[in-house]
Amino acid sequence: MAGSDIFTGTLDLLILKAVSWGPRHGYAIGRWIRETTSEDVIVHEGVLYPALHRLGRRGWLTEQWGVTDTGREAKYYSLTSDGRAQLRAETKRWSRFSSAVSKALTSSPA
Amino acid sequence: MRRIIRRSDLRDDAARDVSDELRFHLEMRAQEFIERGMSPEDARRAAARAFGDLGAIDAELRHEGALRDRVRARRDRLHELVADIRFALRTLRKNAGFTAATLATLALGIGAATAVFTVVNGVLLRPLPYPDPSRLLMVWMSSKQYGEELPISSGFYSDLAAGTKSLAQTAAFRSWRYTFAPSNATDAEQVEGARVTPSFFDVLGVRPAIGRGFTDADAAVGAPPAVILSDALWRRAMGGDRGVVGRQLEMSGQRFTILGVMPPNFSFPRGAELPAGLSFGARTQLWTPMGFTEKDRQSYATQNLAAIVRLRPGATAPQFHTTISAILERWRLAVAPKLDLHYSVATLIEQAGEHVRRGLLFLLAAVGLLLCIAWANVTSLLVARTTRRRREFAVRAALGAGRARIAAQLVTENIILAVAGSILGLAISIWATRAMLALVPGSMPRADDIAVDWRVMLAVSAMALVAGIAFGLAAATQAGFAHVASSLRDGTRSSTGRRSTLGRRGLVVAEVALSLMLMIGAALLTVSFAQLQRVEPGFDPSHVFTAGVGLPVPGEFNPKRDGPEWARFFRALQDRLARTPGVEAAGAVSALPLADAVETGSTATIGEPPPIPGKAHATEYLVTEGDYFRAMRISLLGGRTFNSADVAEGPPVIIVNREYARKYLGGTAAALTHQIRLFADFSGGRDVRSVVGVVENVQSVALDSPVQPQVYVPQQQMNYPGLSVVVRTRDDPTAALPLLRRQMKDADSRAAMEHPRAMQRVFDESLARQRFSMTLITVFAVAALVLAMIGLYGVISLMVSNRRREIGVRMALGARAADVLRMILAEGVVIAAVGVAVGLVGAFALSRFVATLLYGVSPTSTAIYVGAAVITILVTTAATLAPARRATTVDPTVALRSD
Repeated sequence: MAGSDIFTGTLDLLILKAVSWGPRHGYAIGRWIRETTSEDVIVHEGVLYPALHRLGRRGWLTEQWGVTDTGREAKYYSLTSDGRAQLRAETKRWSRFSSAVSKALTSSPA
Repeated sequence: MRRIIRRSDLRDDAARDVSDELRFHLEMRAQEFIERGMSPEDARRAAARAFGDLGAIDAELRHEGALRDRVRARRDRLHELVADIRFALRTLRKNAGFTAATLATLALGIGAATAVFTVVNGVLLRPLPYPDPSRLLMVWMSSKQYGEELPISSGFYSDLAAGTKSLAQTAAFRSWRYTFAPSNATDAEQVEGARVTPSFFDVLGVRPAIGRGFTDADAAVGAPPAVILSDALWRRAMGGDRGVVGRQLEMSGQRFTILGVMPPNFSFPRGAELPAGLSFGARTQLWTPMGFTEKDRQSYATQNLAAIVRLRPGATAPQFHTTISAILERWRLAVAPKLDLHYSVATLIEQAGEHVRRGLLFLLAAVGLLLCIAWANVTSLLVARTTRRRREFAVRAALGAGRARIAAQLVTENIILAVAGSILGLAISIWATRAMLALVPGSMPRADDIAVDWRVMLAVSAMALVAGIAFGLAAATQAGFAHVASSLRDGTRSSTGRRSTLGRRGLVVAEVALSLMLMIGAALLTVSFAQLQRVEPGFDPSHVFTAGVGLPVPGEFNPKRDGPEWARFFRALQDRLARTPGVEAAGAVSALPLADAVETGSTATIGEPPPIPGKAHATEYLVTEGDYFRAMRISLLGGRTFNSADVAEGPPVIIVNREYARKYLGGTAAALTHQIRLFADFSGGRDVRSVVGVVENVQSVALDSPVQPQVYVPQQQMNYPGLSVVVRTRDDPTAALPLLRRQMKDADSRAAMEHPRAMQRVFDESLARQRFSMTLITVFAVAALVLAMIGLYGVISLMVSNRRREIGVRMALGARAADVLRMILAEGVVIAAVGVAVGLVGAFALSRFVATLLYGVSPTSTAIYVGAAVITILVTTAATLAPARRATTVDPTVALRSD
């Protein structure tokens, strides 16, 4: 299971970001997250899938079966317009949050 | 990375979908490890390790999948509904004429029905605005001789209050007017108040919003005068000051301490819901405490109180009635065995609506008929429209729309019509309710309780539901989209389904029948109203101005002490008015005809054996001042009217009316030779009064009530502190108001005036209830007839357009235009005739329910029935004329070629 709310929010945000350039299947999304975050966010890759489906239920992602360049069948996820709006809003919120946290962590005691 | 996207619904097996996806991931990940140099076996294990708990994830995904499917299905249905509504609105907009006609018909029907129901609900159904109102009973006396709903005396009240302590909490009250100046700048006015026993507010279960209620100490003899104000009076006279408790208020020449202010909307007793004889104002504005002395408790003669009781838990109205009847019976056997006197009890809610119940239910029935006609008409319109759209449905079905989808589409359209019509109807009803109440100012009981509440909303919803169901059925039976192929092939020709036209004709027959019934009802009430207006009231209201004028009565009502002062004031006022230019005659009376509560008493003729108690000559009695008979143009039939010689010291005199003379004295001429005692006056019947004049009968209570014996006594010999002044002017009677006000102030600066108005208005307002019923039912009847006309027009038009081919063939075969005209007209006349026959039977069957509302006309009057039937036939025939004429213009060649 996904951990705290911050973690869930982070993972959701990363997933939305991962599909923002076009449809991707779960494996590719996982790989992108691993590579861009140096494997810090996802401890077990399995948590990715419940997150994908949850985002689908909220109407932020749609999925379709397709065929990869190597000729294999895979489920592709793509961003809906609602998902894109969510990504924008979340990105803004996330950067506000993280700058606040880092400010708090780096400031000297008063 | 291009690929062919497969339709996801080809993979609708959610479980397989999940495992395929996960397998793909694991294989790709293993591949990655192999590329880094692992053995296939190690790579698979590493991939599984990196993935985590496969079983748990798999289970969670399946659960998630099920949830997602449900959410999606819901979203799809919502989209479908939105699409249906959009389509329905577009269709309705495209057919603006049809939509407007349907909505208007439905809104008018529902609006009228809702308005009448709102009034019925407020007056008859809503609980009274007091806690647990079903336990509140009014107690009255009744006797064969004097009638029903008589007030009770302090003696009787004290007995019943003492004897029913375990069954009920009791209170007594009576009307009492106070003169009062809201501020120094304004003239004194008379305020409608009530004197109440201390338990009054507890019995009703309402506490003052500010301050306290009355205690026994407030009502004790010698207690300082105290008053509780209504919310309205407090706001008007005290500016809504919350610190008013404990302050002094000068009323009727006495200083009262303000104890409290009642909550808003509390104004019991309200005049229109209690017998008129008690002369309560429309809304009581203030309350003062009333206590009984030992002497009052022994006084049985002065019947001037109303009694209200709240039953204790477990006690019943019959039980209470039996108990008080036994108390009265013991008294009767001991004191006056021959007196015919009983108690009657009625719940306050019955009491309140009693006099208007029949009339209101009649109107409700009438508006119900109108509503049925409106429904029938709209249903008929919808059937016709659905029939015309058969081809559209067929095309859509052929293009792949499911039967259920088309049905859903039709139902959506009809529900939108029903809901929109009902909302419009509700809006109309709010306006119409106000208009209705404006027809009966001040005389509709519980007018303050009339409001749109949940019952009204429920009724509107029910009306909308019936409309929706009727429309839905109409659509379902008529759409005919089941037979796609045949509809496409036959086109519009197939719409002359035998069953469908039969159904529509049935609807129109019902409409004609119902509208005829309404027309008969309207005609009966109109004739009855005309008869009432032709009743000779015994006086001439034109050019007469009237107002209540009174002197303040400080403390106890004591004519012995204050009487001479009252006599002087009214004499002075009359003398001044008589000398005023433009005034033809002026006088005053204790009970203004058709407006004030008339007092009743009994008399005995001198020289006849003394009357048996309870069998005395019952009569209405009035006190007059000045030139009352000439001012009102009440004809003198014999003898003389009162003059300036009829003073307190002069010989006691009395004037009787024609009915009194006929009933008790052997006619007008014989009457003048008699002397009588009047037991109503303060001298207790000591004075022997000579009959000096006989005057014409006056309708004192209402134009439709039977003529009563009446006697008149000069005010100088029987003093009253307040009278209704009447002034006959040469010109506009309302010009008399400033004159009257000035002369009143000059005669006595303490005098106050109330209710100034033209006598003609008094006369018109006495017919307000009848005018109310007549106006409403006439409006309903006209609306019904118009709707029935539209209905018949619609049916015949449809028939003509459906039979164009047949008519074409007939004309091609040599039928002349006149033959076609006759054929179509005959169709309409047959429908109208059947409707009229049914309507006549219906009206006859219901006639006995109208009987009590009528005056001077039989509820089965042949002339009215025949007249209404003829009008209905003529009007409906006229409605078929236009489509019939259109039929004669059918061009045979075109008709034969057209589908």
